[in-house]
Amino acid sequence: MIKLTIDGKTIDVQEGTTVLEAAEEAGIYVPTLCHHPQLTPYGGCRLCMVDIEGARTLQPSCTLPATDGMVVNTQTEKVLNARKFVLTLIFSERNHFCMYCQVSGGDCELQNRAYDEDMTHWDLQPNWQPFEVDASHPYIVLDNNRCILCRRCVRACGELVGNFTLGFEERGANSLLVADYDIPLGESTCISCGTCVQICPTGALIDRQSAYQGKETEVEHHVGVCTECSVGCQRDVLTRDNRLIRIEGEWDADLNNGLLCDQGRFLPLEDDRPRLLTPLVRKDGSLKAATWDEALKAMAKGLGGGKGLAALVSTRLPVEDLALFKSLFADGLDAELVTSLEEGKATASLAKMAEKLGKPFEASLDALKDTGAVLSLELDLVDEHQVAGFFVKRQLQNGTRLFVADSNENRLSRNAKVTLGLKTGGEVQFLSDLLDAIENGSEDKALNETAQVLKEAENPCIIYGEVFAANANEKALETLLTLADKLGAALIGVKGDANSMAAAQLGLEAPFKSNGFKSAFVLLGDEDPSQKLVKALEDVPFVVAQAAYSSQLTGNADVVLPVTMWAEQSGTYLNLDGRLQQAVKSLDAPDGVLTSQETLLKVAESLSIELDPDWKTSLIARVPTVEIREA
Amino acid sequence: MSILDIDERILQVVELVDLRATPITDLKEPDVDGVTVGILEGGINNTYNEEVALRMRERCKILVALGDCAVFGGVPAMRNFCGADAALKRAYVDAESNDSEGFIPSNPELAKMTRVRAVSEVVPVDLHIPGCPPDADIIFYALVELAQGRIPEIKDEKLSWQ
Repeated sequence: MIKLTIDGKTIDVQEGTTVLEAAEEAGIYVPTLCHHPQLTPYGGCRLCMVDIEGARTLQPSCTLPATDGMVVNTQTEKVLNARKFVLTLIFSERNHFCMYCQVSGGDCELQNRAYDEDMTHWDLQPNWQPFEVDASHPYIVLDNNRCILCRRCVRACGELVGNFTLGFEERGANSLLVADYDIPLGESTCISCGTCVQICPTGALIDRQSAYQGKETEVEHHVGVCTECSVGCQRDVLTRDNRLIRIEGEWDADLNNGLLCDQGRFLPLEDDRPRLLTPLVRKDGSLKAATWDEALKAMAKGLGGGKGLAALVSTRLPVEDLALFKSLFADGLDAELVTSLEEGKATASLAKMAEKLGKPFEASLDALKDTGAVLSLELDLVDEHQVAGFFVKRQLQNGTRLFVADSNENRLSRNAKVTLGLKTGGEVQFLSDLLDAIENGSEDKALNETAQVLKEAENPCIIYGEVFAANANEKALETLLTLADKLGAALIGVKGDANSMAAAQLGLEAPFKSNGFKSAFVLLGDEDPSQKLVKALEDVPFVVAQAAYSSQLTGNADVVLPVTMWAEQSGTYLNLDGRLQQAVKSLDAPDGVLTSQETLLKVAESLSIELDPDWKTSLIARVPTVEIREA
Repeated sequence: MSILDIDERILQVVELVDLRATPITDLKEPDVDGVTVGILEGGINNTYNEEVALRMRERCKILVALGDCAVFGGVPAMRNFCGADAALKRAYVDAESNDSEGFIPSNPELAKMTRVRAVSEVVPVDLHIPGCPPDADIIFYALVELAQGRIPEIKDEKLSWQ
């Protein structure tokens, strides 16, 4: 422990603590700009300067390690004057005129820091050098005129996301934030995760979708889980007057620490699919608007039960909905097939293995945070489950080695040390060969290198996805477990959609083959139906679709029930590494549109079926692939 | 003109002060032998503005810069990024609403345009009240304090640059 005194207050801190962190622990506020809790201290802006007794000059507290007996003052005249001077220099460097800036009035850290110092004006005027604004990106505007050169965005792009798109060119006052080798951001290697926008303290990086639509003080916050995939990032949905304004990653979240991908952050605001607002019933060959009563009657008449009825549910829906769905169709109507739209592809083989073992065998995503080597099996983390991909990519700069084994082209292999061919159906062979290479070495150079590095690496991880889970037979999984055991490796199964694992726990994992079903009920929620599904349902004489958006599937259905979309419902989600998390309602649904829970209860009532609302018991009844815990 | 945003409260202010000169009264310039408080709105955009600022500084014990233009240069200062010539050409010749005979006024009586500056770049300023415009309550507070011989404190909720 280190003992130091800050503003007359003596505190004990751990070795390695910076003066800034020590001040925070002591409850003493030191203003910062370039510093961010999620980033490595940088010491670029000099706003956090403090007076250290015995030091010749003021010192930046963010990079200065606390030492025993140190006496720090944060409120001397020298410090306060330096703060104002630093702010004056920053203001006078570029176009920091607040009256025409999107982030002015609460969202700008530069402005807020100046207000804190009671600055009514600044004494130096800028040199009036204009910089070009880069508006080439679909979601992000990059304006160097507002940049304070703190490099938070550059550091976030590299340290947190591992993408290294942003960087600086030129020096001093001419420093320019650029993408790649100074090409327009929209044509660069940017993956549109938006972390740079979220972390920018000024208006240098703003997002187009929410620009000028509402400041921090004018919006409502709804913190909950992202429902775009099974990683389950925590995010903050900002709304104003029942309108989506912006989505941000939650910095305090253990799992994603503020990160989101384009699918979680930007795409939900681009959704322009036509909304379904009333029930529809097919009359004389065409779908006509109907009342709920008419629609439920038509449904009860055509749906039947038992053999011939197929019931399919989207894994983007909360556990509560999945459980009620199962209760209604499996227990209530005894349907021939009750399954999820994923048909258990990403989970079924793994769930069976867990049952066989009688215990979970997969690890938490946290294992990726301090791993020395990662083997990715038939999994492309560039398009899907991107944030898990960030966890892998950002480790590479710390010496972590990545090995990609895939049958198809894999975009992650760009970052890989070795890319190995893995033939579809050849999983057993591949894993046995690797196991053999680990034990006895191999003639195959690539395989041998993979084996040696994995063997020697600290905390190795093997990560696999839906393709692997769907292709792997019991033997392949057994080999995988032996391999993991041999290496002391953590296994991470990247599942499918947001509640993929919950569906597996509820046993909603049977394959859907259209073999003469007489009727089908599809609870689509806000999911976009696949062409395969649309095709498969064409042979079914009577189809009920419950969906938020109009699609080819609802167009072909006989009864259509409107339902809420992700932002209009609350519920529980089980992510790929077993965290039970809450999604929160952020928007009010349009009049007459119900949540799927409300609808399922209505449907059950119309069919005089009692539903079992207890989902918790059924969720943990089956041995999970990874330990389930409240997050 | 933002001073008029204080509405009928201007009558209370008038009771406290001896209003010597404003742009809308007969007397446009402060007394030669000096006044206590002078308030300047707007940035220093041309040679005439410079003269006004110098005269105000000379004759006012306390000089106040009111509004973002006076404090920072404001919206007109954006022309500093392209220069006065380009701004004039855009406004008088190139603008879509001009006919083909547009020309830049060059009457020698006109003040000469300069770089747009904050008042404090030209003369020392004793009190800055930023805002675009400053909130009426802040203006009223500042005027009442000044009229009673105190220097208003522009901070916390009274400090806003937009």
